[in-house]
Amino acid sequence: MIPSKNKILIFGYGNHGRHIAKGLQEDGYVLRVVEQDENYYQQALKDNFESDLIDMKEDEELNRLNPHHYDQVVCVMDDEHHNVFLTLSLNALFPNLNIVAISDSIYVTHKLRLAGAKKVIDMYEVSANRIHNILHRPIATKLIKEFVVNKHGITFMEMEIPKGSFLHGRMIDEINFSKYDVLLVGVVDFERHKGFEFVTSGHEHHLDEGDIIVCMGDVEKLHQFKEHIEEEEESL
Amino acid sequence: MNDILLRTARKLHNSKKYRTFKTFTRDCLTDDKNPYKKYLDIGIIFLIFTSIFILVHEVKHPVPVWMDFYDFYIVAVIFALEYLARLWIHNDISEMILNAYQDAKFIDKSFSAIDPLKKGLIEKAYFMVTPSAIIDLLAIFPTYRPLRLFRVLKLLRYAKSINQFVEVLSSKRFELLTLLLLLLFIVFTSGIAIYVLEEKINPHINSLFDAFYWALVTISTVGFGDISPMTIEGRSVSMVIIISGIAMISFATSVIVSAFSEKLHEVKEHRTIEKINKSDSFLIICGYGQMTKMFLRRENLSPEHYIILDKDKGRVESACKEGYNIILEDASRTEVLKRFDTTHAQVTLLCLIANDIENIYITLTAKAISRKIQVITRVNDTRMIKKFEHAGADHMLLPHEVVNNMIHIAITQPTMYKALHAVLTGKDVAQVYEIHVGIHEKLIGESIESLDFKEYKLLFLGIQRQGEFLFNPSKEMKLEAHDVLLVIGRKISIEHFRMLHKGDA
Repeated sequence: MIPSKNKILIFGYGNHGRHIAKGLQEDGYVLRVVEQDENYYQQALKDNFESDLIDMKEDEELNRLNPHHYDQVVCVMDDEHHNVFLTLSLNALFPNLNIVAISDSIYVTHKLRLAGAKKVIDMYEVSANRIHNILHRPIATKLIKEFVVNKHGITFMEMEIPKGSFLHGRMIDEINFSKYDVLLVGVVDFERHKGFEFVTSGHEHHLDEGDIIVCMGDVEKLHQFKEHIEEEEESL
Repeated sequence: MNDILLRTARKLHNSKKYRTFKTFTRDCLTDDKNPYKKYLDIGIIFLIFTSIFILVHEVKHPVPVWMDFYDFYIVAVIFALEYLARLWIHNDISEMILNAYQDAKFIDKSFSAIDPLKKGLIEKAYFMVTPSAIIDLLAIFPTYRPLRLFRVLKLLRYAKSINQFVEVLSSKRFELLTLLLLLLFIVFTSGIAIYVLEEKINPHINSLFDAFYWALVTISTVGFGDISPMTIEGRSVSMVIIISGIAMISFATSVIVSAFSEKLHEVKEHRTIEKINKSDSFLIICGYGQMTKMFLRRENLSPEHYIILDKDKGRVESACKEGYNIILEDASRTEVLKRFDTTHAQVTLLCLIANDIENIYITLTAKAISRKIQVITRVNDTRMIKKFEHAGADHMLLPHEVVNNMIHIAITQPTMYKALHAVLTGKDVAQVYEIHVGIHEKLIGESIESLDFKEYKLLFLGIQRQGEFLFNPSKEMKLEAHDVLLVIGRKISIEHFRMLHKGDA
């Protein structure tokens, strides 16, 4: 599976960077790692990543990386100050970058958002929420975590309804997903608004080409289903 | 004699009625958790107040006969019963006799019931000379009116703050004792001095008692003035004691104040822990760091349901400023965790310290105290997971891993990220919920088709059964006891569903 968004620029190969890079590489993304620390840079080279060692303060060097040629820019340096600074510089140079950044407090989160990061993941907020979930729904939390991390077995997958699919123009209720052994979890309906909606929200959904559906099920069944929806006729 | 004692002891030991009655009495009188103790306490306090009221009323008004009767007999009899009950439950002589008999038989020694009896009686005698027992005893006798004042003192048993006051003072026993000795010495010498110097001249000083009385009144700077020195020598003596009196009073004040300022936070802590122990489920959070702050902000816990322990003074102060329930303690110490009631309440321990070694240690400490304590711990280094499992942690939280996963999803599945973020953070309307099928519920035996989740606007994901997750099971599958159903939906849908399927089969 090669996703459409496949070129990613990662700043930072420290505590977070190396794990994220590894995970993304396994999923078939094309990565480029940027570091300013000599040791981390060497580590990245050793792990067979295309890497650059630059001085983040120099706009020239940032320019040379051509960040706008990438689909995603990830700022996961160990030092939060660097992340904020980097987000700010990148945003000043290339206003339309898709930046994901990591933060370790609500203040940093706020600053990163001001600096122009599209998505900010607050380590402590996420962890605090995890504790909340463990306390209130221990089993669901554990299972969901497995679904999300799993590369085999039951997991989530999002797929775009391709041109000419039999799903085009149908109502959700008309389609029996369970015979494909998948479960429709939610839809991004471009007719209504751009956000994600669970199927249980109670709205009648009309599927169209280009809508994104999120399904849950066994990986293989999901892949089969994904291939299947490209066909014009419902075969089963 | 031996025989009779032994037989009685055995009879009492075998009598179930006697034993349950004794335990019941003991619980009523001493166990704070016993529901009847509260009523007993209120009853005794009521008797004390009515008795005091009669005593005060009597000073100026004639008291009706029934009041006197009530005061003389009813109150006195109940107090006497209480006293005897306290004496009775203090120890168990019959058990002591039986134990001694068994020990003697074991080593083939001749058995004498007198020794254990003596021991038991001596124990009871020791109990009788404790201050509270003496007060109780004196409070029984109503005939000599001033003795009835002791009934007021009986209230001391119910005034916890006074106990704490005494405790605080006793921590400065050495300083206070030194002061008292010094005071006695000065009163003694100056009393004798004034007696020798003025007894013949001063008409007010007739005895040595008068002289000591004058010395104490002067040294305390009260100075009634009913006795005053008349000679130059006498006045010189009083000048000396006045000055030493001022010094001594300021010294005593400073000792007491410092004792309180030292003990104040301990007293406060004690109160906090006591309050927490009253609720039937609470959280103990170790460490006040970023994660704890975020968690508390998210959770909005009421103060009787959580307590934070931290050993850093600065962090404790900052948490106090935020209004959180925090005490300055090291959670890795067994005594600290033992202060929490883990037998009656459901306790969950959150180890959120940034240091793995400390977290492991705390986990072990908690599990050593009771397996019932649920431990959720933060793990910073993935290599530590095995050790945490060994220590018995129930849930592990790896902040780095959680974040890395989130970033991974944010990149690979941007739509899912939004949905998951909503699901995992519980911010959006829809969430993943668990429905637990109990033992007696209507749900047992129902097929999945008949539940019609769609009707409730719920998305049914699957069943967790005996540690295994059955994804999207067939419609004919029947529910069993202890199944956990996983559904996605809004809170009101879940509540609606639970309400309709609640109750016995």
